[in-house]
Amino acid sequence: MNRREWLKCVSALAMGAVAAPSLLAAFDAHAASQAPGFTPQFFTRPQVDLITAVVDIILPRSSTPGAVDAGVPSFIDQMFKAVYTPAEQERYQAALASFDRAGGKPFLQLDAAQRKALVTKLHGEAIAGKKGKNPAPAADFVLMTKKLAMMGFFLSQPGCTEVLQYAAVPGAYHADIPLSQAGNGKAWAVETVLTL
Amino acid sequence: MDKNTYDAIVVGTGVSGGWAAKELTEKGLKTLVLDRGPMVKHGDYPTAMKAPWELPYADQPTQEDIRRWPKHTRPSFYGITQSTKHWFVDDLDNPYEETKPFDWFRGYHVGGRSLMWGRQSYRLSDLDLEANGKEGVGVDWPIRYADLAPWYDYVEHFIGVSGSVEHLAQLPDGDFLPPMELNCVEKEFAGRLSDKFSRKLIIGRTANLSGPLKHDKSPQRATCQYRNLCMRGCPFGAYFSSNSSTLPSAERTGNMTIVPNSIVYEMIYDNAKGKATGVRVLDAETGKQTEYFAKVIFLCASTFGTTHILLNSTSSRFPNGFGNDSGELGHNVMDHLFGIGVSASVEGHEDRYYSGRRPNGFYIPRYRNVGSDKRSYLRGFGYQGSASRQNWSRLVDEPLLGDDLKRAAEEPGPWRLGMSGFGEMLPSHSNYVTLDHNHKDKYGLPVLNFNVAHGDNENRMKKDILDDAMEMMTAAGYRDVRSYITPANVGAAIHEMGTARMGRDPKTSVLNGWNQMHACNNVFITDGSFMASSACQNPSLTYMAMTARAAKYAVDELKRGNI
Ligand SMILES: Cc1cc2nc3c(=O)[nH]c(=O)nc-3n(C[C@H](O)[C@H](O)[C@H](O)COP(=O)(O)OP(=O)(O)OC[C@H]3O[C@@H](n4cnc5c(N)ncnc54)[C@H](O)[C@@H]3O)c2cc1C
Ligand code: SF4
Repeated sequence: MNRREWLKCVSALAMGAVAAPSLLAAFDAHAASQAPGFTPQFFTRPQVDLITAVVDIILPRSSTPGAVDAGVPSFIDQMFKAVYTPAEQERYQAALASFDRAGGKPFLQLDAAQRKALVTKLHGEAIAGKKGKNPAPAADFVLMTKKLAMMGFFLSQPGCTEVLQYAAVPGAYHADIPLSQAGNGKAWAVETVLTL
Repeated sequence: MDKNTYDAIVVGTGVSGGWAAKELTEKGLKTLVLDRGPMVKHGDYPTAMKAPWELPYADQPTQEDIRRWPKHTRPSFYGITQSTKHWFVDDLDNPYEETKPFDWFRGYHVGGRSLMWGRQSYRLSDLDLEANGKEGVGVDWPIRYADLAPWYDYVEHFIGVSGSVEHLAQLPDGDFLPPMELNCVEKEFAGRLSDKFSRKLIIGRTANLSGPLKHDKSPQRATCQYRNLCMRGCPFGAYFSSNSSTLPSAERTGNMTIVPNSIVYEMIYDNAKGKATGVRVLDAETGKQTEYFAKVIFLCASTFGTTHILLNSTSSRFPNGFGNDSGELGHNVMDHLFGIGVSASVEGHEDRYYSGRRPNGFYIPRYRNVGSDKRSYLRGFGYQGSASRQNWSRLVDEPLLGDDLKRAAEEPGPWRLGMSGFGEMLPSHSNYVTLDHNHKDKYGLPVLNFNVAHGDNENRMKKDILDDAMEMMTAAGYRDVRSYITPANVGAAIHEMGTARMGRDPKTSVLNGWNQMHACNNVFITDGSFMASSACQNPSLTYMAMTARAAKYAVDELKRGNI
């Protein structure tokens, strides 16, 4: 359990009418930005292309949609534009640059097999490293991008409804049932926060 | 003057103000209800039906949000999200000073924090109400459980509290709707605690409608749909808020006049009559000043809201703040110990799951300093927690990518159980708030300055909260038992109380046993300010019961011509 989820479940868990229009405008902008062919607000186009290629390796389309289908590159762009601190922005930018050098030539010039091999190798290095310590920059990039891809994907509509399962209005609570009888038996979508 | 004159004025529309409005209007008083924030009608909850993918930024606060809410985004709080931030006051516009750090989390709008509260609802018992007197701490409560019990019945019946009957002297049962269920791991843990420690673990008691209300006075309220998005406001009216429950009843009487955006900044006192005659109000949008008058005034602006108004109301009669003959106004600030907890991994039960999102957890009622148990500190604590199956975030550090990662995420993860303590804090004169005349808010009003810290008793109890939780989870056979200490200041439990305590002696307390001001008998305070001790139970149910009780008394006294 992450902190927020934890606080929410253990502790329970201005301006309503006035702020509503501006609040809802933010939601509309969010919906619009998820359309394909979005205009990046934080990264350059070549950086977005690289991030897109990497998230497609992390969560590809299979019998269900993948991270790119779910608008994850745009999600990552928005997170860096609005949510992360300057230090986090710099860390990611530097890691991205380092990652782009790690394969001998620019990542997008590698073929599909080489790209996958590089991402897999750096991911392995990142998770083999010491807990609580950031891995070397190129591996750090892969791990950070994995977290971002998972967060963007598993909170997206395809992620919540086609890979996981989501009930907007469950209507009832069944505390203890066989897994096979819990909806379609897959994990329920839940709101989660990951730190970079 | 006539047009601004009512029988009663209620200041605040949160948990306590909503109840005051309902009770006074139902008893026939023409009542003016004031709140400093904007109107929120039941149903006016802009984010209530948003799916996860409709929320920008994975529902996290942006840098701009953190700039606007530097205090509300402290690690001890989780309310500044894209789906709930509109219910919390902007820290830049609503500043306060901290001689000692204090977490003050609040919302200014009609409904107050009844909209965002966690709905956990527990009764106090005589163990709590007798403790001050027996131990010589603070002042003795002027009431006992027998005074409160019928009023707990009354408010529980009206708002609907779901819970189980347990026959515990330290946590009296109530007039409950059906209890929600524990899941398989919670049940197993309950069994092990009972076997190894003879301690109880029960389902939380929560003001969510697990079944229909037992009355027909709130047609706008439907049963819970198990979405667990309550903090956004519930379009089904399935949890108690002023907006969904008490204010609609007050409205239906035809006796309520509600004026939002009304910042009450001062009491009006009539020296000749020896009474409060009304309040002075600043319009939050236009700055216009208005005076309102009434025979009786209920202050329900939340503990610090009310304290602010009283400290800001000085006169020749009350040079140190309205009703402050005792010198206790603003003192004895209490909250609950918060943020200390433990979680553990639970093996097995892989073939069991749940469906629906239960807006509730389990509760381990207080067992320390109960019966023959004796500790090196006074009072005790309870735990609140839950067990659930881990989600996809467990896979970040697993060597999985691509299709393998997707497939693994489809499966519910292993079980994890977590709980944290809510501990009692003792009243102390040295924990207080003052008005800081060197710092003014945008309306030119002095801000509150906090001078509150935990003492020796609290620090000793904190250690037990952590050690006991570790011991219970380890004894239950769980693995990877990890403690968790959230950086939290006093206030983080959002159960602030005590600044205008009740007591028998006007020399040492602000209110009498009817929430009536010793020094001015037509002023009643029924928000958390009145609390003479904090107990360790979530307090709002007690504020409701005491509000209803005080309203009955006030109306009777009006009829008798005593006020
Ligand atoms: C996230 C969260 C979870 C919580 N969980 C629980 C729980 O599980 N159980 C529990 O018992 N409690 C819980 N609480 C605490 C609970 O919300 C409070 O105890 C309760 O709301 C206090 O009621 P009140 O009437 O005193 O104040 P509030 O509900 O805060 O209402 C005060 C009202 O007064 C208005 N006001 C303030 N100053 C002025 C002024 N000068 N003039 C006019 N109006 C004014 C405000 O705008 C507000 O509407 C929780 C709180 C939060 C925020
Ligand atoms: S869980 Fe129940 S009370 Fe909470 S928002 Fe959903 S329906 Fe309403």
